[in-house]
Amino acid sequence: MRRFLQSDIFYSFRYSPVAIVSFVIILFIILTAIFADLIAPNNPFDPASLNLMNGFTPPMQANDFTGEIFLMGTDDQGRDLFSTILYGLRISLFVGVMAVMLAMLLGVMLGLVAGFVGGWIDSFIMRFADIQMTFPSILVAMLIYGVAKGILPPEVRYEMSIAVLIISIGLSEWVPFARTVRGSTLVEKEKEYIIAAKMVGLSRYQIMIRHILPNVLSPVLVIATITFALAIIAEATLSFLGVGVPTTKPSLGTLIRIGQDFLFSGEWWILFFPAVTLLAFALSINLFGDWLRDTLNPKLK
Amino acid sequence: MSYVTASRLTRRYDLSDPWFIRMIAGRKTNVLTAVNQVSFSIEKGTTYALVGESGSGKSTIAKMLAGVLTPSQGSIEIDGQDFNNPGLDNANKKLLRQRVQMVFQSPYASLNPRWKIGDILLEPINAFNLIEDKASRHKRVIELLEQVGMSAHDQTKYPHEFSGGQRQRISIARALACHPELIICDEPTSALDVSVQAQVLNLLKDLQNENTLTYLFISHDLALISNMADKIGVLKDGELVEEGKTSDLLANPQHAYTKMLLAAAPDIGAYIS
Amino acid sequence: MQTPLLQINQLTVTLKKRQALFKAVDNLSLTVNKGEILGLVGESGAGKSMVGSAIMGLIDKPLFISSGEIYFKKRRIDTNAQPFRGAEISMIFQDPLVSLNPLRTIGNQLVETIRTHIPLSKSEALERAKKLLEEVGIDPARINAYPHTFSGGMRQRVVIALALAPEPSLIIADEPTTALDVSVQAQILDLLKQLCKDRGTSIILITHDMGVIADTTNRVAVLYSGRLAEIGKTYDVLKNPRHPYTKGLVAATPQINGASLKNKLFQIPGSMPDLNSIPAGCAFYPRCSQAVSRCEGERPPLFDNRIACWLFDKGAKPK
Repeated sequence: MRRFLQSDIFYSFRYSPVAIVSFVIILFIILTAIFADLIAPNNPFDPASLNLMNGFTPPMQANDFTGEIFLMGTDDQGRDLFSTILYGLRISLFVGVMAVMLAMLLGVMLGLVAGFVGGWIDSFIMRFADIQMTFPSILVAMLIYGVAKGILPPEVRYEMSIAVLIISIGLSEWVPFARTVRGSTLVEKEKEYIIAAKMVGLSRYQIMIRHILPNVLSPVLVIATITFALAIIAEATLSFLGVGVPTTKPSLGTLIRIGQDFLFSGEWWILFFPAVTLLAFALSINLFGDWLRDTLNPKLK
Repeated sequence: MSYVTASRLTRRYDLSDPWFIRMIAGRKTNVLTAVNQVSFSIEKGTTYALVGESGSGKSTIAKMLAGVLTPSQGSIEIDGQDFNNPGLDNANKKLLRQRVQMVFQSPYASLNPRWKIGDILLEPINAFNLIEDKASRHKRVIELLEQVGMSAHDQTKYPHEFSGGQRQRISIARALACHPELIICDEPTSALDVSVQAQVLNLLKDLQNENTLTYLFISHDLALISNMADKIGVLKDGELVEEGKTSDLLANPQHAYTKMLLAAAPDIGAYIS
Repeated sequence: MQTPLLQINQLTVTLKKRQALFKAVDNLSLTVNKGEILGLVGESGAGKSMVGSAIMGLIDKPLFISSGEIYFKKRRIDTNAQPFRGAEISMIFQDPLVSLNPLRTIGNQLVETIRTHIPLSKSEALERAKKLLEEVGIDPARINAYPHTFSGGMRQRVVIALALAPEPSLIIADEPTTALDVSVQAQILDLLKQLCKDRGTSIILITHDMGVIADTTNRVAVLYSGRLAEIGKTYDVLKNPRHPYTKGLVAATPQINGASLKNKLFQIPGSMPDLNSIPAGCAFYPRCSQAVSRCEGERPPLFDNRIACWLFDKGAKPK
């Protein structure tokens, strides 16, 4: 730990206001999401606790019918917006983290194999990646989602929707990982320590995992950060379009969609608070990712 | 019989365009012969130097002798055994590999930057399964470090914490780990300063005497080679143009290229004598 | 006595890292005379490239010139190198691959350099460019060729032609032959010597190779840890080195000499200190076999305009 605190990375962190502020915001949002049930005044996912009469209450104003006060107001179904945002963040975070991990696993593996083995495997993987990149990732995600929904029997569709969401977002974001890892692999595999490993008789697989992988991971961290932000937004977009999480468990995207309907009739808060939360979160992640990329770049030293 | 015999080593690279394009565009095949029928032999316990400029093929020959590149033609025999014999089973192949190790040119790229020194030195020991119990393996790592003039507590550090000369020592320690008989030194001091170079070269000499090692020493620096080698082979464009004992070759070069190299080499000795 | 072409007075180049200051070049003084080739020799980290960059005004953050002056033709240039840079002083770098713009023909680059410093029409500049190519040994017919069509040695010649284009009085060559083959290296060094003789251009040759120094230079300055250890006529310094470091360097350099066959080379124990651990007194003290007690605490000045070593202080008695 002490080594880390004395390192160049931590030094750069201490002196970069952008990094500190964005990190604090990210940490704050993640912690509130994790401890949502302790913080939130009520559970918005429990239909029994909802009172339709609470609907459309403006923030910090007593409801006309029940007299309850809500920090950020309520949505059309009487859900406390603050609680809903907290619980929705949980889903967004979960989907985001899992999707990034899937994309990272797939992308790093394919990139390693393509770079190290080369030949037609490399061509095949890279052309496939090129083809996939010609489509916007949201469309790819929707395609996979649609196919999955078509394959799965209707009874499981509901429970599986989060899993399908994760798979569809994850499969749409693997390409940047693969490309970067492949590039770094091509560079590393010419280095002499790889020849030394070959001379000791290691198999190709052993060389890839033990020697090359640790050396191609640092750009992966930066891409993972940015992909995380993209995954969160992708989930929000898919939910906004109605193909994401089910409406009884709204995520940020669903709330934005609902809120959009009511924006011009005066109930601005239903759109505003979820949108601001999403914005702050995604922006912080992007800024932190930028700072991380600049710090880890050896050429700028 | 010599310890190492390379016979008619040849290595070709096919740089032709794909068949399809050749047919359409009417282009010819393009084969680069990096090494052409090179033969030499090394006696046990001696140092044989291959000297040449860039493009002479010396690094390619080094890689072929190391077993990481297969010759297009020709054979390599180490202690009577054919190095590239397809009939060898895996166990014998591994034994043969154990006898040849390499020290590389770049101190920066020859050690995995993410591995601790201790792990780097353990790898050949583990791979060749030379020592049974863990404790003895760690003792061997310390032994290797001390043999090259470094200390036991260096094993928890990473390569970037060491200077170029120290990294080359670690590379040498790694090469020694599996008790090899032949060490191929591919320009091991080209990237080092003069005073550090002297330390590393002296270390190599000491190790050769202590362990009866055979060296194939690759370099472009004639002054260095004259100090290290028993026998010299001069390479030009993939061919061995002249070969001979060091003192003979330096005093009486026969081939025009050798003469040119000697004349062109900056020599502080000639200046001050 | 003729005034020197270039005079460096007590130059100190400081590196700022994490709020701490380190001296990459420490109180260095030397002169370059007209028509001579001065060698700057030292190991990596000794500061020799830094001196070249300081003269050209190429020192950038986090490095800066913290004290000292540089005079060129009696005018001060360390505060403002721009008018001289490229015009009267030009520089050649180590790697010809990256010194030339790969997207432009060599003729184009030559003409641009010439016209930046000398008011000539395009056709006049082109003529001059062709003459320059001839002078450095390149067929002028190749004036419209691109850099990638030349070999490493030829490219370095083009770089030299570019350096000569503004008719400089001083050329700084920073390891110009390190990336080249031995035979090509000899040709380039001969070319530099020829240019110095024909044109009277002074050259500062920065290298780590003692052999190159022996072959090419008139005078040599030996640098250690950013400080000047010894300076003098090349033959004197190499034949009779005085500073223990120079002695060690010369003894450690392999020679093509039948007698040195497989003898162990002299080795200087230890290695040059990092910037953050330079000893208080003489920088070479920890590695010096001839050190006296004074060396530990006091840094020796340059005695006799030649050698920075307490052993040569004629006043003091060595212990």
